[in-house]
Amino acid sequence: MSDRANSFFRYLAYVIEIIVAFALSTTPHLLPEIFGAKPVLPVCVALTAAIFEREIPAMLIGMTAGILTDISYTNSIGLFTITLTVVCFIVGYAANNLIMATFLNFLLYAAVTIGALFMLYYLVRFIIPGLDDGWLYFTRHLISRMVLTWICTIPFYFLNRLIQKRLNPEG
Amino acid sequence: MKEFLSSPKIKIFLSVLLVLIMLSVFTHNVENNVVSTTFNTLTYGLSKVTAAASQDQSEEKSYSELKSENELLNKANRELRARLIDYYDVKEENTRLWKFYGLKKEHEDFSLIPARALRRDSDDEFGSFTIDKGTASGISVGNPVLGENSLVGWISEADAYTAKVVTVLSPQTSIGAIDKATGDTGIITGSAKFAENNRTTFTKLNSEHKVKEGDIITSAGTAGIYPKDIVLGEVIEIGYDTYDTSHYAVIEPYDKIDKIVDVAVITSYQGMGEILSKE
Repeated sequence: MSDRANSFFRYLAYVIEIIVAFALSTTPHLLPEIFGAKPVLPVCVALTAAIFEREIPAMLIGMTAGILTDISYTNSIGLFTITLTVVCFIVGYAANNLIMATFLNFLLYAAVTIGALFMLYYLVRFIIPGLDDGWLYFTRHLISRMVLTWICTIPFYFLNRLIQKRLNPEG
Repeated sequence: MKEFLSSPKIKIFLSVLLVLIMLSVFTHNVENNVVSTTFNTLTYGLSKVTAAASQDQSEEKSYSELKSENELLNKANRELRARLIDYYDVKEENTRLWKFYGLKKEHEDFSLIPARALRRDSDDEFGSFTIDKGTASGISVGNPVLGENSLVGWISEADAYTAKVVTVLSPQTSIGAIDKATGDTGIITGSAKFAENNRTTFTKLNSEHKVKEGDIITSAGTAGIYPKDIVLGEVIEIGYDTYDTSHYAVIEPYDKIDKIVDVAVITSYQGMGEILSKE
């Protein structure tokens, strides 16, 4: 297959992945709640795809996943769209110029990114508005959501690495 | 890195980011906007499919069952919303009253009316403000007004539902006061020189006064206008007015007068209106 065809199918695979992740996340009764929370799968897809891509494709993947995540949370574009766009762009740059896209590096970067992303979400939704039950939400839902999202990045990492190997052998 | 920062990629990234921020502001501020509607329409079909796929897991109900359940839920929702509004009102009132509960315990003879600053007089540099209670609540002109920590002023005008408070920072104020540590007496009155720093003055001090920095000044209660022993503030510095050759002390009230929101008006107390004889 030509490079152009490879790229097309690779991006198509990412789009399908994001849509499936969104569908899995938002389907009622499908994913079980563990310790009061479900993982946010579009975030997993964006973070794992970004590490294998260049800056601009990584940014677009982050943006798409962010828009879908925001829609499932608030029905409008917001925090996740902007933060995932920024994070994926930086990761795309770092993975190509600064760090090796190894599994260990990925786990570390995913932990930091997911932690920062959800802490920012907590800050914007609970701390700044001064909501009374913020701490309760943090301990009962947000910690488990962060951990579950982080764990779910692992299968997506291997899936995207496979896609990368098959559809971008030179990358 | 320098090359990267000046590359087209950064320009694309910043442009996309700018557009997203603008879209974010737009979608958060405009109801039923075209952007949210578009994205929601795009995902509507998918959500419909996934919801249908998961329908097996939820109990199937007939239209009439769902309708009656919906009516019941709407009714319950209305009741809960009304209760929630009551709860917020009570919670707010409770928070305000707790602040003055301690004071009421100390002075059981006080009749206190809690109130809130409704607006501030923008053309008054001495921090006067209008409160949300008036004569209908028993407030009358001359009543002392307390902040959380000290006496902050007095009622200068009152109508049925609002009243204006002149603060201790104003030269209009004149309160008989005493230094609890030394027994020196004087008058608390505001001064344009100190008002902007949330300070007032303790004037008409005896030339041999012993007032010093850190002393706490309270109301003397000798004129029957202000109750005795209400804290007015703390001495910050001692001064001498060469113009009228009098000694004074600069006092800092314990409340930030220009920020104050919750107050309590003393409408009556034991000894109100009586001029105490000097012992």
